[in-house]
Amino acid sequence: MPNPIIQVQGVNKEYGRGKKTVAALKDINIEINPGEFVAVVGPSGCGKSTLLHVMAGLEAPTNGRILLDGVDVTLISERDMPKVRAQKIGFVFQSFLLIEDLTAYENIEAVLWPSLEYRKEKQEAMALEVLREVDMLERKDHFPRQMSGGEQQRVAIARALVNNPPILFCDEPTGNLDSKTGEGVLKIIAGLNRDRKMTVVLVTHNEELVKYAKRVLRMKDGAIVSDK
Amino acid sequence: MNLKIFLKSMKFAFRARKRVFAFIVIYAILYIQVGKGLEQSAQAQTLWLLVAFSVATVYAILISQFRRRDIAILKCVSWSNSDVMLLLIGEVVVVSLTAFLLIFQLSVEILGVAAYFTIDIEGPGLLRTLHDLIVLQPGPMFLSLFYIVILQIPGLVLAQVRAMKIPPMKAIREE
Repeated sequence: MPNPIIQVQGVNKEYGRGKKTVAALKDINIEINPGEFVAVVGPSGCGKSTLLHVMAGLEAPTNGRILLDGVDVTLISERDMPKVRAQKIGFVFQSFLLIEDLTAYENIEAVLWPSLEYRKEKQEAMALEVLREVDMLERKDHFPRQMSGGEQQRVAIARALVNNPPILFCDEPTGNLDSKTGEGVLKIIAGLNRDRKMTVVLVTHNEELVKYAKRVLRMKDGAIVSDK
Repeated sequence: MNLKIFLKSMKFAFRARKRVFAFIVIYAILYIQVGKGLEQSAQAQTLWLLVAFSVATVYAILISQFRRRDIAILKCVSWSNSDVMLLLIGEVVVVSLTAFLLIFQLSVEILGVAAYFTIDIEGPGLLRTLHDLIVLQPGPMFLSLFYIVILQIPGLVLAQVRAMKIPPMKAIREE
């Protein structure tokens, strides 16, 4: 049995203070093994996106521990967190979050700019390779405003892949897309899980997308109510 | 220092054309006024140095404000605060150096035209007006560059503090 790549241990997340405290996550315990494709589903406001953000180290839990590939991200300082993000995590957002002033290619390459590990030629090759993988090579010099939603999301996926992280977090990646385009994006993500053996955690409220996952976590009111 | 980010940030800066070109013009005027102010009384010198400090600080704050979304996204994709700082410095360097080179070039061109056509720039005419408006002597010109670079530092520190406070989640929440 492999060691879990993601471990969530007794995690709670609360917003607000005093009487206005809202519990977004309640005593969450999850273990996800390398190469798993896990869908987190539930109604709007049930805490699934919060869970993803906490797992990815974008938000700190109120208490509990998150281990990514054996590293406890709750103990890591904000100063050291970028290294963990670069090495272990790829993130795909609902609203793509591409930088408007950078081309598709530059949006991807920008992930590698802080790295002193790769030479310029290697970085270019890496960025072009992931663009090819999501079939966006021909659009590499286009700005986000010149691309459709589906194309922007494919670029965002390429950006998440360029560092070759073992974990891919997807937060409603099809939420801003029509069903046909969304299906195409999900096929790319499923392909990454199958071919690259990436661990994928997908948050969605769309029950139709659950078919791509091998494991489904259902959430309600900040708690996990089923794990199948 | 990661020279790669610094150089890329200069290219990145020029993509925000409206803001960058507007501030190149503002900085060019600032160089002229600070340069000319340095040739005047101590009061005028202080006044123009204060103006330079204010403009430089406001510009640095504006960059961190306009780039809030970009900074949050870059933090989401693993940029550190020091990487973000280089991005801000790059844009400030682009604007202040471009403005300086613009004034330098204009001064050289005006003096060159006057010398070529043997026009007396002390006499009346358009060239005299341009000369009085734009041309800086080498001493005040380079001294104004020195002062503006120095006066930029507090603004950059402030911009960095503001940028550090931007959490990666800001990008997601604001969409």
